[in-house]
Formats: sequence, structure tokens, C-alpha cells
Amino acid sequence: MTPTFTPRPSQQNILRYTGGRLGIAAVPGAGKTHILSALAAQIIHSGVLQDDQEVLIVTLVNSAVDNFENRIKSFFDNKIQALYKYRVRTLHGLAHDIVREKPASVGLENQFGIIDEREADSIRHEVVIAWLASHSLDDYLDPVLDTSKRDWVKRQQLPILVDALASAFIRSSKDRLLTPDSLRAKLDTFFAPLPLAELGWSIYADYQRALAYRGAVDFDDLIRLALTLLQNDEEYLERLRFRYPFILEDEAQDSSATQQKILGLLSGGSSSSPVGRGQGEGGNWVRVGDPNQAIFETFTTADPDLLREFIRTNPNADMPESGRSQPAVIALANHLIDWVMTAHPDPNVRTALSLPHIEPVPTGYEPLNPLDNPDGIKLVSKKFTPEEEIIAVVKSLKNWLPENLNSTVAVLSYRNDHAVRVVEELRKNNIEVVEMLKSTTNTRAAAGSLNHLLSYLADPQSTRKLSKAYEVFRRDWRYRGVGNGELESGENNPELMKTVTDIVQRLVHVEKFIAPSQTDDWLSTIGESEAESVIEELKEFRVNVQRWLNAVTLPIDQLVLTLAQDVFSESADLALAHKLALVLRQVANDHTDWRLPELTSELAVIAKNERKFIGFSSDDSGFDPERHRGKVVVTTMHKAKGMEWDLVYIMSVNSYDFPSNMPSDRFISEKWFVRSGLNLEAEALAQLTALESNSEYDGYEEGVATMQSRLGYVKERLRLLYVGITRAKKDLIVTWNSGRQGEATPSLALSELIGWWEGR
Amino acid sequence: MTNLSLIQRQVIESPLNTRLFVSGSAGTGKTTTGIERLRYLLEQGVPADSILMLTPQRTMQEPYLELLFSPERHAGGEVTSATIGGLAKRMSDLFWPMAVEAAGFKNRDQPPVFLTLETAQYYMAYLVRPLLEQGYFQSLTIDRNRLYSQILDNLNKAAVVGFSYTEIGSRMDAAWFGDPGQRRIYQDAQECATLFREFCLDHNLLDFSLQLEIFSNILWPLEQVQNFLKQTYRHLIYDNVEEDAPRAHDIIGEWLADFDSALLIYDNDAGYRYFLGGDAVTGHALREACDKKIEFAESFVSSENIIQLSDTLVSAITHQESENGNPNNTLEFILAHYYPEMLDKIIARIKLLIEQEGVPPAEIVILAPYLSDALRFSITHRLDQAGIPSRTHRPSRSLRDEAGSQSLLILSALAHPHWKVHPTKFDVTHAFMFALNTDLIRAQLLTEIVYRQKDLRLSSFDEIKPEIQERITYLLGQKYTNLRNWLNDYREQTPLPLDFFMRKLFGEVLSQPDHGFHRNADAIRVAASLIESIKKFRYSTESSFISNPAFDLGKEYIAMLEDGVIAAQYLESWRTENKDTVLVAPAHTFLLMNHPVTVQFWLDPGSSGWVQRLSQPLTHPYVLSRHWESGRMWMDTDEVEAETESLARLASGLLSRCREKLFLALADLGETGFEQRGTLLRAFQKVIQEHES
Repeated sequence: MTPTFTPRPSQQNILRYTGGRLGIAAVPGAGKTHILSALAAQIIHSGVLQDDQEVLIVTLVNSAVDNFENRIKSFFDNKIQALYKYRVRTLHGLAHDIVREKPASVGLENQFGIIDEREADSIRHEVVIAWLASHSLDDYLDPVLDTSKRDWVKRQQLPILVDALASAFIRSSKDRLLTPDSLRAKLDTFFAPLPLAELGWSIYADYQRALAYRGAVDFDDLIRLALTLLQNDEEYLERLRFRYPFILEDEAQDSSATQQKILGLLSGGSSSSPVGRGQGEGGNWVRVGDPNQAIFETFTTADPDLLREFIRTNPNADMPESGRSQPAVIALANHLIDWVMTAHPDPNVRTALSLPHIEPVPTGYEPLNPLDNPDGIKLVSKKFTPEEEIIAVVKSLKNWLPENLNSTVAVLSYRNDHAVRVVEELRKNNIEVVEMLKSTTNTRAAAGSLNHLLSYLADPQSTRKLSKAYEVFRRDWRYRGVGNGELESGENNPELMKTVTDIVQRLVHVEKFIAPSQTDDWLSTIGESEAESVIEELKEFRVNVQRWLNAVTLPIDQLVLTLAQDVFSESADLALAHKLALVLRQVANDHTDWRLPELTSELAVIAKNERKFIGFSSDDSGFDPERHRGKVVVTTMHKAKGMEWDLVYIMSVNSYDFPSNMPSDRFISEKWFVRSGLNLEAEALAQLTALESNSEYDGYEEGVATMQSRLGYVKERLRLLYVGITRAKKDLIVTWNSGRQGEATPSLALSELIGWWEGR
Repeated sequence: MTNLSLIQRQVIESPLNTRLFVSGSAGTGKTTTGIERLRYLLEQGVPADSILMLTPQRTMQEPYLELLFSPERHAGGEVTSATIGGLAKRMSDLFWPMAVEAAGFKNRDQPPVFLTLETAQYYMAYLVRPLLEQGYFQSLTIDRNRLYSQILDNLNKAAVVGFSYTEIGSRMDAAWFGDPGQRRIYQDAQECATLFREFCLDHNLLDFSLQLEIFSNILWPLEQVQNFLKQTYRHLIYDNVEEDAPRAHDIIGEWLADFDSALLIYDNDAGYRYFLGGDAVTGHALREACDKKIEFAESFVSSENIIQLSDTLVSAITHQESENGNPNNTLEFILAHYYPEMLDKIIARIKLLIEQEGVPPAEIVILAPYLSDALRFSITHRLDQAGIPSRTHRPSRSLRDEAGSQSLLILSALAHPHWKVHPTKFDVTHAFMFALNTDLIRAQLLTEIVYRQKDLRLSSFDEIKPEIQERITYLLGQKYTNLRNWLNDYREQTPLPLDFFMRKLFGEVLSQPDHGFHRNADAIRVAASLIESIKKFRYSTESSFISNPAFDLGKEYIAMLEDGVIAAQYLESWRTENKDTVLVAPAHTFLLMNHPVTVQFWLDPGSSGWVQRLSQPLTHPYVLSRHWESGRMWMDTDEVEAETESLARLASGLLSRCREKLFLALADLGETGFEQRGTLLRAFQKVIQEHES
């Protein structure tokens, strides 16, 4: 093992693990990834693994996969030793592995497709629109709405509301392994009408039919089918248990009940009854997580209580030490835990956060916490309007940045649209902003380049698009600033490129340049006025464009590959192009009436990142704040998880975005146009639950779920605030605003922290 | 002839009244012996038309064709080279009156209509689509066209294995365990199969399964038919016996004693067509009916090192201990991080092999478990650019994706306004670009002005402003005017059947000088294939839909095309191409080509595609085989065992067709960007680790 890693006492305790179950509660910045990697390496080193056995590491997001791979490898001098001895997967990746081995057993063909989130959204959206066209939801609308308002709501609001409801309903049904068929059977035998469940079922059934038509499943299906397989095929389960004798699970607080069931089965015995069978008995399953950071539970059955329960009923350990933040930040976060646990005005909310407290790293161990600096914390009690709040934060940044060019800073907002406004204001003030995005610039740049070329081919008369195509053709010059060997004066390239771009833009008739007749070649007419290098450059470009124009009748995958061969030189870009070719081919197969223009806009969507692009995980190694020193990172608190900055701004900590379940609180999911302030999504899920129980005693009562959902929301918001605070290494600034209606007050939690901090 | 071994000579020159069973592994010279035996028979004056050359599938006849098609062999008629399926079709046609009643056809005075794979698929789609709307197969996630083909596949399996098609559902159901929600699909599948069969009987349609059933169950037992066949064919050469299906074996078993001579060739380690109903066990049983059994043992193909590598690899796959050879001489890795990078390295290595090491291109093959169109295109394109001739068992585009087909189909829509198919401007632009042999820019300029999608109006070139006319060029204007006049004239007349229409359009316009199909051999082949496909479609639909006035052949064909039901197949061109080329093929296809090479490149050893998935949602090669114990369930252990065995067979089969060297090409991130570590890669890893330790 590499000597640089000196485990702290709490970590040493964990490294004593040799088998069985172990639940670990870790605090933010405790080094979860590191300790799990070390543990995996230790197991491999110990030699207990037989041929074809692997340590299975399950984590939450793709970017973490690569992180784990690199860390584990770093524990080995000879990489071959660890080859195929471990496997890092997200739950989706694992489910895919499981299903891919026996697709026919769950009704899939061998080459089944997986529909990504965007395609799933658009299919569901179509189904929802069709449903609304033939059904009415009038019973649930506020009866006092006048006709024109009602019409407006139906046109503008219902599609969004029903779509969100259907999305949650479908996910939840899949999580419970309910198919449209089995759900129908339950609805038919239930003793009372459940209109929202009927709605959900109807959309679910049509949605699944649309997927089946494409021969594809969505991400949630993968998980559902994996669990179905494991539950029904004992021999297969045994085989997998042999293959994965150790399971290490990271971010276990965000684990859904289904994930827990899958890992429980794989490790031997379900999690609720830890008695396993046969080979998997007393299964080896280590779960690490921080229940206080469970912020992904909306719409899934994820629940931090599941992990808490696991920790309580199994051998367990704490990882309370964190070297991330300075003592004042730690104290503030710990006080939030204390206040919530003991003094939150709603006793039901007090389970939102739990112990352990964060402790600094003990002396003699790495890393050292930043120095104590109580002045680094500013909890601003001043009332701002939303606009004023943004202006105040930008102003504060303007003062801070020049002195801290070597530091990192983030503005944490909690909604995307709010983040966008912050970005706009920063840009207006000429402050360099980094928006934290889902996929890498690599994907976007490559997809963007291909998009420009295809746009031109879809509209070959356009000079504007042709000049864009030219820029793509010479993209290497732009990115590297170096010339290719064939041109003498490399330094003139940017200039040459600009000249040529201008000339192409000024073209009147594209065909006279690109497809000249023998007697009418535009190039020969400008021969006298332009330098020879320009003419040569134009000629070279023309040869390429002619080839592309002829390739335009190829199927889309082959067209993309042809273009990529001409304009990309980097292996990574070519690999991405190959993947894009496959994706676009699939899109074309699914939409037989789509032609180049439609496929090009699809590529534009990929280029803009709206589409989650699976695969290439190792290039998607996540976001590294350290690479953006002296710039302002703007992101949401959800996306900030796992990261840290020297200075962190948390905005909008008011009673609307961080409610406390007080009578005066208003809730975003309770729509003004819905009668009795019902949260329809929560009500629909409650109807689903009622169906499952099938007993009159836990039947469905309208409104109960709306109230329960408030509670869940309030608790999740508190954890979100905790996550926000614990992102700060040295400095933390928290502000609030009065909301769009001007009625919001500071969140109770913020008022409490301000009072406590000032009284310290 | 000088290279033949003694034992091969003995077989080749055996008396003309012996029945021989030759068995051995791949590479031991069995097929060579078969070819030479055929040559010997002909040289001995045996009339060619009394010889039956049988293989389980047509590609396997490839090695024999050179001999059969050589010009000096034409005297005395021709050798019949056939498959049992082909024979069944011929006999059903010939003896139709004797079969029609027994088989239960409705129209006894009408001739049979033979369905191709494509037209059978069409009828299946026609019958099943309405049932899907009613909720059939709801728990299944499958592409519709694959659903249809799996139902057809089941009918075919019943026929080639020899059980009643009415047992398909119950057999599958009895072997199934697991999610009870899935169970209904077998009932659905049975219903669809039955519906299809009944429809065929009602309309005199004969798909492959019905042809074979009629031949084997009705015609073959008749004395007249047997007499005809036995008098016609006196000598039999039957290669790849192990790949054929039980019903074929049954018939040959009964027939064998009546041949003057017979040579049956059996590969001990093969059996790759089991997922198509192939059955090595029933094939091996034919041995007993032969006078002489000869075993070939010595490999003429693989070097010692390759044989050793094959043994070690197979042991690793099957988890057995083995003696370890040094794989380094025979095995070389090509490693890359990204996929295209890996392809570049492969091409570079091939270039080196050809230019520096003197390996002829024909002695090199690139194999992948699964060849996507994109991958096929990427490889052949790269080879092209490197100046290396290559061939592949099919092009990277299906017939309907070819520019020539697209152009013909769009113009067909323009000529038939009553179809109410209104191509977009985009499509028409491409059609003009190809048909009128012009560039995309002018084609677009022209289309935007002259074409109106709403009513398919094509306005005249003369109406265009002169300056635009000039941009479009008068030459293109002239060609467009001709085409327009032709289309307008045609619209005035009674429409022709689609294939007639296309022939006319092709002959009178598109094949003229300076048009897309003029002297463009590839495009002409595309057009011919498309027209052939339409013709077959017309033949097969005439009998069943002729009375339906709403049925329009052309419109229906185009709709089926859009749905991917038909013309999704590929031009078969590899057979006619230059042979001194690098072959690019899926591994399983290569196995069935009887074509040993010096160097093999295996792509993606980490892919899970090397392991042939046995189970399909609706069909199952083992459960529907003759050896499956009725009522037994297909368990995970069965699956693992069968898959391991099939992988071992694949690996040894490939290596026994490799003379000297194997390259393994491996990218960290596979074609779709995922890390891959399938069984085959793990086995190789063991081979190497064991050697190093």
C-alpha cells in the first residue's frame, strides 16, 4: 500500500473490517471515497478473492465512478494486481450489468435500447398532452376560478402539473415493481375510486407502450427489471453473490428502498432480515453515508431513515473528523444539528438531522483544518428584495475577487432559474462566471462542431453556415493556436482564418464557389485580389465541402463519421463522434420521418447539454472547483454536493425556500389553482400507496399526503442548508430575500443561527 | 492434388458405390476432400445432374462453387447444389397437386405462392399488428420487426426440428420460470403462429416452415416423390452435416441407402447453427448408416502455437487446468484508450503485415462479435484510405438506405399523387441530386422553386427567373424538364405496378447519360435489387389482396419500407467480389464461411457479444430442440453451461481457422463509451496471467 495514506483513528477502525455488515455515518469532508477505496484495495491485497470474484463498489453518480477507479489504482504499484478485481458502478450501471446478462428473462431482446432522460421526458410529455385532450381534471381545480383564469390554467399550468405528477407516479410505480397490468388489476379491485391513480395508470400504460414500441427501457425500468430478475432467479442470484463477495456502498443516504433491496439480495439476505442463505450468509456489505446530506429523495423512495436504521441494527462506526472547514464553520453546522434535533418548533421535524457532530482532524494527521476565523462568517439579517439580494452578492464579490485571485468561490442558489439570474448580473458586471454543468465541455465542443457542419449540409446555400463550417474545419487552429505543418507561417493562421471566414461570409452564390461550372469559377475571379495562401486555403476547404455534400445521402451515422474523420484529430473527439453517430442512428430509427434538419437540432440539444449523455464516464470526471480559482462558480446546492470552496454564498434562505412547517408557510408544490391547496403529486402517490396496501384501514384520505409531503420537504430543506454551510472552507455568507410577493421572512433556521452566532 | 494426404486420397478415390462418413475438426482438410471427391466423380464420368451437393446453408457451398462454375464442367448438365429448404421448395412446386389437399390449402385449383423471408415478415406484420393494439405481448419490450421474426423463427424451428407448430407455446411455457407477469407472451406467440399458418393455408402462401413441412411430412413419404428423387440423384455430397437440422437428417437417413455413393462430412467441434435449429447429435447419427467411417486428425491450417493457444484459451473459458504454452508468439495485443484510436492502430498493423511481412490481404480477417453499420463503415473506410482492399459480408447500408433506392422511391411518390405520400422538400432535393446527377446546392435551389409539397406540384423550369435559371444552369434545367415531362405524362396514364413503373423510369430517364444511374454499377445493382424486392412483394400479395380494392401495391410497399418490415435487408455482394481482400465480418458469420486465414484480428474481446445469448424473449434453441426433456425448466445453470460451451466452441472454431497469429484489439472505452470486461477477455487474461506467473 502506498505509504502516503496515514489513516486517522476513526479510519483505522474501519480498515479493521474483514467481513459482515458495517454501517458508517460520516460527516461532510470526512473522506468517504478515500476510505472505501482503501478498504477495497485492502480486500484485494489480502488475497481472499478467487478467480472471477470482484469487490463491487456502488456509488451515486457517474463522475464518482472514475474517482474511485483512480484512487483504488493508486494503492497498487503493479496495476495488473487489481485488474478485474473490483468493479465500480452506479446503481443504474449495476442494474444494466445484471439485466444485460439475461435480458430475455425479463422480456427484453438482446440488443435492447435504453432511453435517456430527455427522450423519456418527451415521450411522457406527448402522452400527457394526449391524456389532457380527452380527460378533465376539473374536479381538482379551485371552484372559485373564473372561466378565463380556468382556461388559462388548463392551457398553461395543467400540462406542467400533470407531467410532474405522472413522472413521479411512474417512477414510484416502478420502484414498487408495479407494471401497468398489475396496477390495473389493483385498481379494478379497489373498493373506492382513486381518480389520481387512474390518471397515473393511464399515462403510465401509454408511456410503457411507447417504450416497448421502440424496443427500449428507461433508467427506472433497468432497476426494476434487475430486482425482478434477482427475486425470481435464485441460481442467477447465487452466481452473482459468488461474483461479488464484497459490496461497498457510497452515498448510502441517498439509496432508495429498491437499491437497498438489490444490494441486500446481492450481499445475501434482504436488508430488513439480515439472515442470508447459503453462500451469501452474513453478507459482506459496507454502507457509508451521511444521513444529514440526504437531498435526493424527492420523487423516489430514498429516505435517510433507511440508512439510519441499517447503522442502528448492524455493526457500525463513525467518521466524525473532517479537515475541510475552519472551526467557526464547523461550529455553525453543529449548532444547526443541535437546534433542529432539540428545539425545532415542529417536533416532527427534529429527525431531519442527526449526530454525529463534525470534529476537526486530530493533531498529527492530515489534512489540517483551515485556521479559526469567526469573522469569516456573515449571516446577513438585512431584508432584501430578490433583485437587491443578487445585486448585494455581486457587489460583495466585486470587492472580494481582486484580493483573492488564488481562492475559490461559489454562489449557491437553490433553483436553476434563480442561478441564471445571478449569472446574468455577474456577467453584466464583467465578472468571470463558471456555470457548473452536467457534462464536459469536450462533449459539447465536439457535438457543437458536428452540429455546425450538419447545419450547413441541411442548408447548403447559406453562406453564414458555410463560414461556420469553415471555422469547424480549422478548429484545431483556434484551439491550439498552432498551424499545421503544411503551412509555412504558422503564426499567420489566425489571421488567415479570419480573412477566409470573412470572404466566405461575403459570398453571394455558394454554388459558384463550391460547385463551380467549368466556365464560372468564383475562385478564379478573386485570384487577383487575394493572397495565394488565401486561395490555397479556400481550395483545400472546397475539396472537403464537396466531399461532405456528396456524403449527405449516407445514413446519419455514416455521415457523422465521415465528417468527424475530416475535422477531428483528437482521439477523444473521434471517440465521441463515434458515440454520437450511434446515438443519432438510434434517434433516426426511432423517428423514421426525421431528416437532417431534425437530427441536427437533436445534436444541438446534445451540444447544449440538455441531454444526459451516458457513457464516457472517465472523461466526465466531474467538476473540480480548484480549476476555477479567481472565478465565480454559480450552481445549485444540490449540484454542489461533494465539493468545497474557500468562500461560499448561500442565497434566498427565506421562509418560502426553506420553510419550517409553520401555519404561515407557503409551499411551492401546493398550486394556487388547485382546490383545498392540495399537493396533487403527493396525493397521487398516496393513492398509489393505498392501492398497494389494499386494506380499508390504511385507505386513502384526501389531504393527509399533502401535509406529510410538507414535512418531508421541510426536512429536506434543512439538510440542504446543512449541505450548503458545509461546502465552505473558510468564509461563508448567508442572505435572504422577501420573495416574489414580498411576504417572505427569514427562514426560522437562519434566524436561529443569527441569534446564536451573535450571542456567542 | 499433390498436397493431399494419403487418407484424403483414399476418400476421394473410393469406389463409386460407397457411402462414407468423414469426421474431423476444422482445418483437417475435410471440405478440400469434398471438393476433390466431386471433381473425381465428374472425372469418372458420373453425369453432373445425378449429383446432389447438399449443405445446411448456401454460404457453405462457397468453396464448391468455383469448381461447379468452371466452364469446362458444363457437359452433362449441372450438379444440383442445394439446401434441404431449397429442395423442399422445388418439390412443393413440382408436386403441388399432390400436396395441396393433404396440407389443407383452401384454393386447390390455384398455384402456390412462395414467400421470401421479407414477404413472410410482411404477412406476419399484417396479421399481428392489430393484435398488438389489443394488448398482445404487452410485457415485452421488443422492436416490432424482431417480434415478427421471432414468431416466424418459432414456426421454422417446429418445421426443421419436426414437432407440430401448435406445441410452440406450451413447450416454451413449460420451460419458463420467473416473473409470472411474463408468462402470457407464450400464449400470445402461439396464437400468432396459428393465425399466420391459417392465413397461409387460406391463401396458398408457403413460407419456409410450410414448404419444409409439406416436403418432409407429406411429399417425402409418397412413393412417387421418392422415386423421382432417387432416380434423379445417384450421388450425394453432404458437407457440414453437423450444422443441419433434425428433419434434414431424418430425410437423408432414410434416403442414404438408395444412393450409389455418398460422402457425408461432419465437423466434430462445430455446431454453430444450433440457434437456427442445427443439431449435431442427429447429424452424427447418420454415421451409422454409412459403410465407412473415417476420422481426419491432422490440422492443415493451424500452427502448433495456435493449437496450443486454442487449448489454453478453451481451458480458461471452461475453468479447467491446462498446460501452459507461451502465448507471446501467437498472440499480440493492440491497446488503445479510445475506440477509433484502436481502429487506426489495427489498420496500421494490417498495412505492416501486407507491406512488410508479405501477408496477402486475403489471409487477413477482422472479426467482431457484432458489427454495427457505423463500425463496418469506419473499418472499411479506413482500409480504403490506406489503400487496402477489403470486403465484408454485407454493405454498411440496408437497401432502403441506399441513395439510389431513396431517389427511386421519392420519385415514385411524386408520380403517384393518389398514394397521398408527400415527400418533404428535403427528400425531393436529395432525389434530384442523385437522379439528375447534380450538386446538393443546385438541387436545393431548384427544388425550393419548383416543388410544392402540399399538392406535389412540379412547376416548369421556364417559369423561373432568368438569373436563377442561370444559377441552376440550363443543363440541369433541361434534365429537370425531361424528368418533369415524363412524370406528368405518367400521371395522366393508368398507374403501372410499382416494379414496372420503376423499370420504365429507370430505363427511360434515370439510366440516360448524365443521370444518376448511368454507368454506375453499384447504383444499378441497388435499383435491380429494389425492383426485385418489389416484384416478389407483388407476386406474394396478388393472390391474397387482389380482391381488395383499397390495396395499392406501391403505397403499401412504401409504408412497409418506412416501418422497416421490408427492404431492410442488405445487398449480397461479397460473393462476387475480388477475393484478395481483407475480410471484415462478424465472428459467427466467418465461422460459417469455411475460410481459413493466416492472421485474425479480434475486436472488443471484452464485449459480452462474444457469448451468444441463447434465450430470446419468444424463442429458445434448446427448449425447442429435439433433445429437450419435456416439461423441464431452463435454469440459470443450463444457461451458463450452454453459453460457456458455445463460447468455447466459438473460440476454438475461430482459432482452427487461423494459421499463425491472433491480434486482440482492445479499447478501454468500447464503441459506446463503456468499459467492457466480458467472459472472453477474462479468459485471455487468465491465459496471460498464468503464463506470467
